[in-house]
Amino acid sequence: MTALKRTASVSIAALLSTTMVFTATGVSYGQSVDLSQWSPEYVKSIAGTATYDTAKDCGAVVPNDYTGKVSYWYTGPFEADPQIAHDQDKAFWEAFKVAYPNITADVQSIPYNDLLDKFRTSLLGNAAPMVVRLQILGGVEFAAKGYLEPLKPEDVGYSSADFWPGALKSVTWEGTGYGIPTNNETMGFIWNAKIFADAGLDPEKPPATWDDVVAYSKQIHDKLGIAGYGLVAKQNAGNTPFRFMPTIWAYGGGAFDEAGENPTYGASELNSEGTKKALQAAYDMYVRDKSVPTSALTNTQGENQAPFIAGQLAMMIAHPAEYARMTDLASKATGADKATADAVVENMRYGLIPAGPARRAVVFGGSNIHVIKSDYVEGGMDEQAVKALICMWTSPEWSTKLSWVGSNPGHLGGFKTQWMKERLDTIKFLDVTTSMLPSGIPFPVLPYAPEIMNIIVPDMMQNALTGAMTVEEAANDAAAKVEELKASQ
Amino acid sequence: MSTMTAGDRPVARRKFDGWRWSGRVFLAFMLFFTVMPMAWMLITSLKTGFAAMQYPPQWWPAEPTLDNYTRLVDPRSKVGQDFLRYFWNSMFVSTVSTVLAVVVAVPAAYAFSRFRFPGRNFLFFAVLMRNMFPAVIFLVPLFILMRLLGLANTHGSLVITYLTFGLPLAIWLLKGFYDNIPIQLEQAARIDGATRFQAFFFIVMPLSTPGIIATAIYSFIGAWNEYIYAYTFLTKHEQLTLPVGIQRFFSENATDWPGLMAATFMMSVPVVVLFLVLQKYFVRALTEGAVKH
Amino acid sequence: MGTVPGQAIFTDVPVVPPKRVGLMRKVYRSRADYLYVLPAIVVMLIVIAYPVYYTIELSFFKTPASLQLKDKVFIGLDNYAYLLQLPAFWKVTVQTLIWTVSSTLFAFVLGLGCALALHREFVGRGILRALLLIPWVVSAVAASYVWKWLYHSDFGAIGALAVQLGLTSEPINFVDNVQTALPSLIVVNIWKEFSFAMIMLMAGLQTVPDQLLRAAQVDGANAWQRFWHVTFPHLSGVSMVTVLLLTVQNFNSFIIPFIMTGGGPVGSTHIWITHIYEFAFQRQQWGRGSAYAVLLFLIMVLLGYFYVRALTRGDSSRAGS
Repeated sequence: MTALKRTASVSIAALLSTTMVFTATGVSYGQSVDLSQWSPEYVKSIAGTATYDTAKDCGAVVPNDYTGKVSYWYTGPFEADPQIAHDQDKAFWEAFKVAYPNITADVQSIPYNDLLDKFRTSLLGNAAPMVVRLQILGGVEFAAKGYLEPLKPEDVGYSSADFWPGALKSVTWEGTGYGIPTNNETMGFIWNAKIFADAGLDPEKPPATWDDVVAYSKQIHDKLGIAGYGLVAKQNAGNTPFRFMPTIWAYGGGAFDEAGENPTYGASELNSEGTKKALQAAYDMYVRDKSVPTSALTNTQGENQAPFIAGQLAMMIAHPAEYARMTDLASKATGADKATADAVVENMRYGLIPAGPARRAVVFGGSNIHVIKSDYVEGGMDEQAVKALICMWTSPEWSTKLSWVGSNPGHLGGFKTQWMKERLDTIKFLDVTTSMLPSGIPFPVLPYAPEIMNIIVPDMMQNALTGAMTVEEAANDAAAKVEELKASQ
Repeated sequence: MSTMTAGDRPVARRKFDGWRWSGRVFLAFMLFFTVMPMAWMLITSLKTGFAAMQYPPQWWPAEPTLDNYTRLVDPRSKVGQDFLRYFWNSMFVSTVSTVLAVVVAVPAAYAFSRFRFPGRNFLFFAVLMRNMFPAVIFLVPLFILMRLLGLANTHGSLVITYLTFGLPLAIWLLKGFYDNIPIQLEQAARIDGATRFQAFFFIVMPLSTPGIIATAIYSFIGAWNEYIYAYTFLTKHEQLTLPVGIQRFFSENATDWPGLMAATFMMSVPVVVLFLVLQKYFVRALTEGAVKH
Repeated sequence: MGTVPGQAIFTDVPVVPPKRVGLMRKVYRSRADYLYVLPAIVVMLIVIAYPVYYTIELSFFKTPASLQLKDKVFIGLDNYAYLLQLPAFWKVTVQTLIWTVSSTLFAFVLGLGCALALHREFVGRGILRALLLIPWVVSAVAASYVWKWLYHSDFGAIGALAVQLGLTSEPINFVDNVQTALPSLIVVNIWKEFSFAMIMLMAGLQTVPDQLLRAAQVDGANAWQRFWHVTFPHLSGVSMVTVLLLTVQNFNSFIIPFIMTGGGPVGSTHIWITHIYEFAFQRQQWGRGSAYAVLLFLIMVLLGYFYVRALTRGDSSRAGS
């Protein structure tokens, strides 16, 4: 594991000196945290250097004795999530009750894959909540359709400099901000060192490029008969694009030019050479080498854990929460299970997502909090109560605690809190995902991006992987669909 | 395929009966086909989350555990509270819709059987056509309508909708019953001074008890298992019914198969038990009310 | 109301033919009758009339991406024209037919087999019957999850069993394969539905008169002949109803494909209803989704005509008897 950390930090340093993706956005001045110095060491050095009194800070925005009500929808922790996520969620609502004893909160936690459908239906029936937290892909869709109130950090007492520039960009539509980032996440790469060793690979070294992933995957499958890389290609499960777009970007492709410095979202690049190479890599693994799980076409990422933990899958792009989930499972295992579980956890390694000829890339993910226009809200709006909730939720303290296992605080001040320090001390590999943040590329900031990411891109993969089309045809078909979609707006 | 029909019964058979044996083989196959998925559901539910993720699977859990069940019914844990709440919601919605379905279906079926009012045939057909309409398309208009009626996000929206699922079969079944009950019974009651409604309520209705029970079972099962309307109409977590509630065993990055299987099993228990206890009425009602001409 | 008690029950029975009575008067005279059916009609109207109207209306409009339906634009039959020229529509139509016909056929045949095999008394018959009925009672949501877990291409019990028994070298690919995904889902649907056919036909079998079968046996008819000439004709009415109910149900079934595959891979398990859902909810093209739905209605109305005819067969002969 120390070997990993060394590898990771070396790669990070190399990365920072070459690409500097985040500074390219140009807004790194005046941040409360110095983004130009971003590295695992820097993240560690600032953790625990600041303290905040959240109730008091928010009290300056909305008085603590304010009486009112607020309704809120978000994706909270569910049954399969680790215990700590449940505990932090509960702690937040208790803290909110203490800070604002006279605000009644009507809170609904809605599963990840249902939230968009339910939110759309509620808007049709004017039954929406006052506040909603959507994953990064959702906000602009609703802003463009006129459902959201403008909302920027200054409205709840923070400064725009307290948030990642890329994250703020993802909630900006035609120059106006429509939300505040609550948490930012990037994924990392997870592999099973024992399988690597058994297959004759260096157990402590992740594949450096996506070409390596294809080769490793084949070697693992050929030697051991198990799946190498955990590909996912299910349609309409939000997590497919999170796993495949990084490959596309790494090879130099994209849905549009979103990977570039100043995206214009002109012509679709799904038919570019880069996209085709990425698709070819997936094809090679799935069809030619059969080195990835067969269930990729109907699987969501959640189902990849099963083979991974059973030692039947060697590597995958993983969300930090998955690591937490697996250690949580292992800690609850008993008897014979315990030994197996511990062995898998022991062999788990976490590193950077592989690079490609064009760049190293990961989806700049996360969630944003939004306010709905009062016309669509069930029972009208209570602006002060809304602000109180948003101030608490996006505070350094709670944006850290509420993203405990899964991601990083939306408010950069969160990195300076003692809780960040605690997380760094207790969650192994957390620095790998924080290190990936600078390689983060946001999805296209377009209202129809969800359809591209959740339907067109997975369709493209399925077309190529099932042999319904050639790689070439599938990519061209997808680009044509994007153009058609764009024209119909 | 077997054709061992009732006619064979009284005739003693000594020689090898091919039909009977093929019937047995067929039944054995069907039994395996029916039971295998349920058995696997039960076995998986007895595993720890970790053991379920083994390949090849443990055909019998190395360390069977009831944790997944105790967690679901433990009112102190959050999972338990949620599950019990969904369970209670399902019970409430299904019971109310069932009672209302019977209350609505019985007089309607009686009227269709006995009275000859204008538009009778049209209305009868209209009722029977209800199940022709696919639920999915109606989701949004119905949601908007429920909003207008002030029922969105209440169990009332589900009750009204579920009520109509069972009605076509219920009315048809009960009408068959009433058609077979001789009117002389009511005539006699009327001579004794009963009103038309009294004759119906005290004389005819009790005779159709098997039909009413069958109607009730059918409505209850339909309401208990319904997914898509509950998924759309309800948002408030404390109002969810079981089929929608158990989706919470999936999250973005994790799937708790044993927990899901345990919840699925628990969800199936009430309807299966209810049905097994009352199934003989169901068959009888179908025989007497619907099939017999 | 009538004066003679016996006749009063039939306000409108042609014992005294009500010649040329105006419709309104007839309606007025039967006003008490309507009270009995009123609740049923009212709920039906709520749940059906408005949605049908809404769907038909929307099918003639282009709905804006904003979902703000007040901005919709009238485009006549364009949505229908679009669908009818869409290759995916025809592909899904073929899949819908395969899904409906094979699910109905197999569920009926297996149900009939079980009903016949269970008709004779034997030890354990009650338990066997009860077990075979369970799939119908279990929710489609539960069934979908259980089968999804059983079929899992890398991890499913069926695949693992096949490997352990040496039938295949690697787990069978059921649902991640364009060729086998739809048949695999049909198996689940049959599992769910055959019990319904079984219980209907069991009821039907009870109406077959024993004497007829015995007479046929005395006349030297073998088992097949007895089934074909005596039993089956008695089952024709209930068979018709069962087949129609199953057909309608299969056209409308949503949960199994939605939960198990979401229509994939490459749309190979889409049937009309899941395709409509994709248009309306996932791609938010409500106009096209509605037009699609209206096409489905038309088929349903046609089926409904036969269904009602089958249900009301013999109704006229019974009425007033």
